[in-house]
Amino acid sequence: MSAADPLQVIASAGKGESTRSVLRVIILALIAGAAVSSRLFSVIRFESIIHEFDPWFNFRATKYLVANGFYNFWDWFDDRTWHPLGRVTGGTLYPGLMVTSGVIYHALRALTIPVDIRNICVLLAPGFSGLTAIAAYLLTNEMTPSPSAGLLAALFMGIAPGYISRSVAGSYDNEAIAIFLLVFTFYLWIKALKQGSMLWGALCALFYGYMVASWGGYAFITCLLPLHSFVLICMGRYSTRLYVAYTTWYALGTLASMQIPFVGFLPVKTSEHMPALGIFGFLQLLAFLDYVRSAIPSRQFQTFLWLFAGTAFGVGLLGLVIATSMGFIAPWSGRFYSLWDTGYAKIHIPIIASVSEHQPTAWPAFFFDLQMLIWLFPVGVYLLFQELADEHVFIVVYALFGSYFAGVMVRLMLTLTPVVCVAAAIAMSNLLDTYLTTKSPAAPDALSDKDADGKKAGKAGLKSTSKPVVGIYASWAKSVIVSSFAVYLLLFVLHCTWVTSNAYSSPSVVLASRLPDGSQHIIDDYREAYQWLRQNTREDAKIMSWWDYGYQIGGMADRPTLVDNNTWNNTHIATVGKAMASSEEASYPIMRQHEVDYVLVVFGGLLGYSGDDINKFLWMVRIAEGIWPDEVKERAFFTPRGEYRVDGEATETMKNSLMYKMSYYNYQNLFPPGQAVDRMRGVRLPEVGPQLSHLEEAFTSENWIIRIYKVKDLDNLGRDHASAVAFDRGIKKKKPVKKKGPRVLRVE
Amino acid sequence: MRLSLSFIAALFTAAVSAVSTTGNRLLVVLEEDADKQIYSKFLGDLKSRGFDLSFESPKSESLSLFHLGERSYDHIIFFPTKMKGLGPNLTPNILVDFLNAKGNILVTLHSNVAAPTSLVSLLAELDIQLPADRTGLVVDHFNYAADNSSAKAHDVLLLPPPRPARSDVKDFFSTGAGEDDVLAFPRGVGATLGASALLNPVVRAPETAYSYNPKDQVGALTADDLFAAGTQLSLVSAFQARNSARLTLVGAAEMLQDTWFDAEVTASAGGKKKTINREFAKRLSGWTFQELGVLRTNWIEHRLDEPEDPRNNETNPKIYRIKNNVKYTISLSEYSWDSWTAFTVPDNDDIQLEFTMLSPYHRVPLSWDTTRSSDSAAAYTAYFRLPDQHGIFNFRLNYKRPFLSNIDEKNTVSVRHIAHNEWPRSFVISGAWPWIAGVAVTVAGWLAFCLVWMYSAPAKKGVKGEKKTQ
Amino acid sequence: MAPKRNAAAAAASSAPATTTSSTPTTANTATSKSPSPSTAAAASTTPAPTAAPTSTRGSATQTQAWDKIVGNVFSHYLSTTPQRTKLIDAFMAFLVAVGALQFAYCVLAGNYPFNAFLSGFAATVGQFVLTASLRIQTTEANKSDFPSVNPERAFADYVVCSLILHFFCVNFIN
Repeated sequence: MSAADPLQVIASAGKGESTRSVLRVIILALIAGAAVSSRLFSVIRFESIIHEFDPWFNFRATKYLVANGFYNFWDWFDDRTWHPLGRVTGGTLYPGLMVTSGVIYHALRALTIPVDIRNICVLLAPGFSGLTAIAAYLLTNEMTPSPSAGLLAALFMGIAPGYISRSVAGSYDNEAIAIFLLVFTFYLWIKALKQGSMLWGALCALFYGYMVASWGGYAFITCLLPLHSFVLICMGRYSTRLYVAYTTWYALGTLASMQIPFVGFLPVKTSEHMPALGIFGFLQLLAFLDYVRSAIPSRQFQTFLWLFAGTAFGVGLLGLVIATSMGFIAPWSGRFYSLWDTGYAKIHIPIIASVSEHQPTAWPAFFFDLQMLIWLFPVGVYLLFQELADEHVFIVVYALFGSYFAGVMVRLMLTLTPVVCVAAAIAMSNLLDTYLTTKSPAAPDALSDKDADGKKAGKAGLKSTSKPVVGIYASWAKSVIVSSFAVYLLLFVLHCTWVTSNAYSSPSVVLASRLPDGSQHIIDDYREAYQWLRQNTREDAKIMSWWDYGYQIGGMADRPTLVDNNTWNNTHIATVGKAMASSEEASYPIMRQHEVDYVLVVFGGLLGYSGDDINKFLWMVRIAEGIWPDEVKERAFFTPRGEYRVDGEATETMKNSLMYKMSYYNYQNLFPPGQAVDRMRGVRLPEVGPQLSHLEEAFTSENWIIRIYKVKDLDNLGRDHASAVAFDRGIKKKKPVKKKGPRVLRVE
Repeated sequence: MRLSLSFIAALFTAAVSAVSTTGNRLLVVLEEDADKQIYSKFLGDLKSRGFDLSFESPKSESLSLFHLGERSYDHIIFFPTKMKGLGPNLTPNILVDFLNAKGNILVTLHSNVAAPTSLVSLLAELDIQLPADRTGLVVDHFNYAADNSSAKAHDVLLLPPPRPARSDVKDFFSTGAGEDDVLAFPRGVGATLGASALLNPVVRAPETAYSYNPKDQVGALTADDLFAAGTQLSLVSAFQARNSARLTLVGAAEMLQDTWFDAEVTASAGGKKKTINREFAKRLSGWTFQELGVLRTNWIEHRLDEPEDPRNNETNPKIYRIKNNVKYTISLSEYSWDSWTAFTVPDNDDIQLEFTMLSPYHRVPLSWDTTRSSDSAAAYTAYFRLPDQHGIFNFRLNYKRPFLSNIDEKNTVSVRHIAHNEWPRSFVISGAWPWIAGVAVTVAGWLAFCLVWMYSAPAKKGVKGEKKTQ
Repeated sequence: MAPKRNAAAAAASSAPATTTSSTPTTANTATSKSPSPSTAAAASTTPAPTAAPTSTRGSATQTQAWDKIVGNVFSHYLSTTPQRTKLIDAFMAFLVAVGALQFAYCVLAGNYPFNAFLSGFAATVGQFVLTASLRIQTTEANKSDFPSVNPERAFADYVVCSLILHFFCVNFIN
């Protein structure tokens, strides 16, 4: 599967329409097959396993759905997360993904194909990526009449690493189906807009509803469609088709989105959804004015009416601002502020900033994820700008919007990828169409081709006359260009395959490393530890860990956790952060209060594993400081010279913190005296390791990545833990020295 | 597991003869066999109550408190020994382990013999302080026995029967004693107790008593050198660990000797008085060895208190809904010498139930439930309405009182939110009627419109054609 | 959200306000309501809409200008609206009345079961825009805008969309 397919299409041109459409179907099927199969690296390399963090929750929720039925899932109160608060899971998740898998599961059951639900979950994302490729084909076909562009777009969509990153087998996350829905909703929107059809608008609304049910990123659509409409209106391109498409979509789509309990009243209450509502009202006004205008030919009244429309728009905006300040409408949420001001989250909401995928994108990431598409992308946008029909405006708006957001947040690269694929495919197909005609055409022929391309014949004709008649018709020049682009395409395929297999196929639950002899060595500490928890602890033993591991503990160890990746309660997370950052004496009451039985930390010092808790520790401190600025201070974890150290020079606060103690407890015993080294941070540790009194080591995995500690019960004899430990070690209590001060008397 | 085993063992032995709830294997640590004679009445009483006594010297090498990780004895009595320590088999760590394994210990001291270091360390862990150099003597120049050799030394204290310090504490040690009866405390060591909640003085020294070291402090005693005085001196102290293992410290071993059992003494204030040492010794050892003041939870039941709810009959459901009415019942028994009786809460005291998540949302007193109580078990019940907060809650009954074994029962339940089909339907809410009407009118209007449209549609073409022709 | 809706509702309601006042004057063919004499008179005295008032600018003529707008709209309506479109207009007027009633009730009595209010109001508004879409698609003048939608198809779309709308509203009102 390579770039050869579009070439074949063009090569077979002239063999008749039916042959071409058959070929097209075959090619699309092959592209979908390639999209699916390139995502199976992880299954081949590792095994059929759920990846990363969030997918573990989705998997667990799906199992619950399959086991307990839809209504129980809808009302699911999860008492095994967020102990002791619990989570109203049924009402706080996007059920689209789970319901989709559940439906597939039951459908296969009905067909008497017994499939493990886990395999459905693992393979759902690749399956949907095939559909995404087809949706990209459809969307591109709406943009340009050239079928090769659609096929190229499908191909790009199928194997672009930016999309693969979230849709490899096992990456069972909301994005897995959401990107398909996103592209397909856009396709339906363009279709509705072009035809002015209520039915397409309703279909668009239904898929929008499905999208809302699947991913929080639906707000992207909610903002993009009004923006597109607004741009069209500002360009003076208001049409009755726009009215029909938009109002149908909005009226039905909003109602559909409100059916999801997690969304509920948000569409009429939060600022994110207000643009859509505003454009809806504005369109009503415009439709009325348009109607009136058709009745009155007078230019004077017309300007008056436009003025009226402008004022109404201003008044509406003002009303929105007032309503927001009065509290009728919730102001923009923190996540949205962080989209405008990248420094905002770091200052105000550390919990958002602490998520790695919320970081601003580094520029190499664009090349890494999109490779040659990233420079074809502006070309494609430029070409669309040349024609600029309504649907082209959409792509242009989407491109601008998407690029900005992708630059702000790593994870929004995902929403940019479709438009990049579409634009790049248009550019590429334009190039190939121009250069891949073997017979050298006469100049007017080329122009008439262009004429056919143009949406409106009159405009294109005007353009073509204004263009100078130049071009390269020499066959050697063509072959050079074509072959160079063939090489580019091949390189792209190679790059995508390489990225997919090396960067995006690691389940992150299982780590792979290479032994000196080149063979693969699997580091399976996570599962080892979770298995230990599952088999050696009480079923309701509460595990405290940093929230990153909450979903995995819930999914793999099946034990209640205090916090997890659904970071809905900042205070609760800050409580855990405080317990980790405080001294044992201070955190013990917190752990008692939350009934913590075990504490789990991730330690990468022995193996040089960078994603460990000491590296995340500052975020814990920051989040805790946000809630308890008097008790946890970030400054105290830095040396006077402003360094974050873990060796002998570490600050006292750092050395006394529970996290430090748990990470390095007994670590020095692995080494000869005085030789203990933290390989992650590359520092030598003090000879005497930290002592623990309120906790006791329960389990340490093979490579010391996971360390589990048991929280001791209150001392049976009423002593504090430090003295109890001292006593056990054989240090007798000293005779009470004669007190200088007044005697402490016992009162009954 | 261990609890239930010992419980079964207790039931079994209780059937055989009246004995402690935690077993009848009693180790008596004596240095010399001759001492058995001095304590014969006390030991005889123990034997008659069903204890299986074994005597060991601390020097004995075969002495071992644990066998294969299980306790070899259920209770220990330490009589004064002249040894400095107690040897490798009775180190403080082993004794702490014994307490942690729910063994009970009765420690006795004597002013003539320095307390063994092992015991001093153990007591220090429990926050019981003995005088410096492990010896001391409590004297009282106002309440002493005036009729024997100690008349001059004033070192035999005559104390009133030990009544509880507070009115809401059950009286275990002086029931049946008359006002004129006295408790003799001859040549004893006083201890001071720390602020630990697990400690309770059983017998406190009179306000006029003080402690000194007869060897060092012969002459005048300055206030700084004074170990302790008055009621701060605890003559008999009781410690109950969190697992209800008990340790009692008797300052004067002599008060358990035959000579002071049912003896007649002359009080310094005048008049002959009868000592209640025998009864006291019986009660004190009974308490220490879990024959008195042992509470047991027979069962706990919580259920919905909503008659129309279909799940009303379910006992101990795992999950409730917010704002449900619930009923909680607990059955408690108290062991008294040889049988389980219904536990009655002392006057002025309450047994309370908490409904907690992080902090209590409810704290309600339980009331006696006559229908479910019997002679051997008392049922206590509380009714309340769950808070409007979902989460993982505990029914927590934490009843810890001096001299009663601890009850700390925690039953975890989830309290869920209101399910989607438990909200009132909108046609039940009168406020929603206008909008239901709005929807209905819209739909009806739409239907009518569609009918008219379809009815008129064919005709329209004609009209259109007409118009066009016009 | 209230002010924004308000604007939309006001804008929407102002449209049919003119149509309702004009419907009675067409009573000679359609429904017979009591015609208000003043508007009828105004309609009859309005000059031909094609005449553009070029010289009568200024603030003094503002009210007169409004009269003219109304008159123009009205006469335009009279002359070009087919019977079937009038049926749609009547339904739209009815929907606006229902919507305005609900909104007034919400302002006066509060929106206590918020979901009920939303679904009630959204049903009316949604039905209104769908009907407006139907009207646009079936209007002869817009035929060029909708090459792929003929009136029969438009009506079928309309029915499907309305059914979806009603389903959502009834579901949401619980």
